[in-house]
Amino acid sequence: MVLPSVGVLAIVVGYPVLYTLLLSTQDYNLLGVTPTRFVGAGNYHKLLDDPTFWTSLANTALYTFGSVAVAAVLGLVLALVTEDVGGRRGRVARALLLTPWAVPFVVVAFLFRYMYLQNGGAINAVLLASGLIRAPISWLNEASLALPAVMVTNIWAMTPFFFLLLAAALAGIPNEVLESARVDRARGLSLVMHVKLPFLRNALLVSSLLMIIANFNDFAKIWAMTQGGPGYSTTTLVVYVYRQAFENFSIGYASAIGVVWLVLLLAFAVAYLRALRVH
Amino acid sequence: MVAARRVDGRFGTRVAARAAQVAAIALALFWSLAPVYWMVATSFKTELEAASLAPTLWPHAPTFANYRGLWSGSLPFLSFFTNTLVTCLATAIVAVIIATPAAYALSRARFRLRAPIGYAMLVFRMLPLVVLLAPLYLLLLHARLLDTHAGLVVGFTTFGLPFAVWMLKSFIDAVPIEVEEAARIDGYRRWQILLKVVVPLILPGLLTTATFVFMEAWNNLIYPLTFITTLEKQTLPAALVLTFTGQFKTDWGGMMAAATLTTLPLMIAFFAVQRSMVRGLTSGAVAGA
Repeated sequence: MVLPSVGVLAIVVGYPVLYTLLLSTQDYNLLGVTPTRFVGAGNYHKLLDDPTFWTSLANTALYTFGSVAVAAVLGLVLALVTEDVGGRRGRVARALLLTPWAVPFVVVAFLFRYMYLQNGGAINAVLLASGLIRAPISWLNEASLALPAVMVTNIWAMTPFFFLLLAAALAGIPNEVLESARVDRARGLSLVMHVKLPFLRNALLVSSLLMIIANFNDFAKIWAMTQGGPGYSTTTLVVYVYRQAFENFSIGYASAIGVVWLVLLLAFAVAYLRALRVH
Repeated sequence: MVAARRVDGRFGTRVAARAAQVAAIALALFWSLAPVYWMVATSFKTELEAASLAPTLWPHAPTFANYRGLWSGSLPFLSFFTNTLVTCLATAIVAVIIATPAAYALSRARFRLRAPIGYAMLVFRMLPLVVLLAPLYLLLLHARLLDTHAGLVVGFTTFGLPFAVWMLKSFIDAVPIEVEEAARIDGYRRWQILLKVVVPLILPGLLTTATFVFMEAWNNLIYPLTFITTLEKQTLPAALVLTFTGQFKTDWGGMMAAATLTTLPLMIAFFAVQRSMVRGLTSGAVAGA
C-alpha cells in the first residue's frame, strides 16, 4: 500500500537528491557551452573561497532566526493576550488576526513593496506624518535597510502561525494545573512564567522548527521584493542557488551549494528533535 | 480600612490590565489588517491616485477599471488564474489519492520498513526545494514535461505528497481500530476496509489535507518560475513576478487588483479549514518526540 507513494517519491525526490550529489561533483553547464566534466571536490573548494556564498549563508541565518524569533514572541504575546476573550467577539478577533497568513507569499511581497515605496509609499507617509522621520526613506534600495525591511514583511506573514499554534497549546493546559497554581497565589506574570510557559515549551519548539525550515527555503517573498539586492544584501542561499543555476547556468556549482545546505539543515533538524525528545 | 484600600487597588489594576489588553488587541488587529485593507483599497483607486505622492486613505473616486483592465488588458490574466487553479487542484487530488493507502499502511500495518519510510517522508518534507530544482528541471526536460502543467504538478508533488502522507496518517490514527476489526470479521479485504470503512470516516481529514496541499501549491513561486517557460501557461504568482517589470511597472492599482484576486481563493480555502489547521500543521513534526 505504501508502494505508490514510495515509488512516486523515489522518482521525484529520491532520484533528484542523488542526482544533485552527482551534479555537485561535475562542471555542468545548463546551456552546454562547455562540455560536462568530472571535477570531484572542485565545486566544494570553490565554495570555500566564494565570499558571496558566505554572505548568503549569513543572510539566511539572520533572515531565518531573526524573523522566527520575533514572530514567535509576537505570536506568544498575542496568544496570551487573547486567551480569556471568549464568545463571538473572541472568535471574530482570532479569525481576523489569522488573516495575514491567508495572503499568498507573492502578494505579501508586492503589497509591502508598494507600501515601502520611497515616494508615495504608505509606510513613509505614516512615518512622515507622525514626525518620526524627516525625509522619506528608500527602504528596499538601501543595502543596510533592505534585509530588515524584508524581515518585517516576513514577520507580518508568519506571526499568525505562531499565534494559532500557541493559542491551541494554551487552551490545552489542564485546568487542574491552573487551579493549583491559583491556590498557590500565582498571578499575572508569575503565572505566565512559571506555569504556562513550561507547558508551551514543546509547542514553541515544534512551531519554530517548522518555521525555521520554511524560512530556510523561503524564495517567494525575497525574490518578489528585492531579487536578492541591492548588491547581495538580501541574497539568501535559495536565491543564490537559483541565480547560479538559472542565471549563470552553472548547475554543478549550484548543486554543491545545495548539498552543503541540505547537510546543515538536516543536522539542525536532528539536533532540534533531540532537544524536543529530552523533555 | 486597609482591607478596603487593597480591594480598591486590585480593582484599579484590573481595569488597567483590561485597558492594556484591549489596546494590545486593537494594535494587533491594526497591524494584521491594515496592509490587507491597503491592498483592497488601492485596487479600487485610479492609476493616478494609486501612484499619488500623497497616499489617500480611501479611494476618492472608486473605480472598477483595474479589475476590468485585468480581463481586457494585454495579459491573459484569466488563463493565469485557471492555470493556477487547475495545477493546484490536480496536485491536491493526486497527492491525496496516492497518499491515502500509504498513510493507512504507516498507521496500521506492522512491517519492517515502517519506521524508516515514516522518517523518510518526514525528511522529504523538510528538503529545501531549491536543492531539487536543477535535477527536477533536467528530469522534466528528458521526460518532455518541461513547460507543461503536468510537469508542474509533478514538481508540486515533491512537497505535497510527503505532507499529505503525514497529515492523513494522523487522521487515520484517530480512527478506533475496533471499527476495522468488525469489518474484517465480515470478510472485508484490506483494500475494501480502507475504501469502504476508513475513507468515509476520515472524509473531513481528506478535505483538510487536500486544502492544505492546494494552499502550499498556490503559494509556490520557484517551481512555476523554473519549469514553465511560456507566459500563457504561467501560474498567478509567477505571472505577477514576471509581468511586474512590464505592464504593472507603475500601475499599482492594477497590480493590487491582481493581488486581491490572487488572494481570494486562498483566503476562502484558509477559512474553510481553519479549525482543523493545528493538527495539520503539527502532524509528523513531533513524530520523533
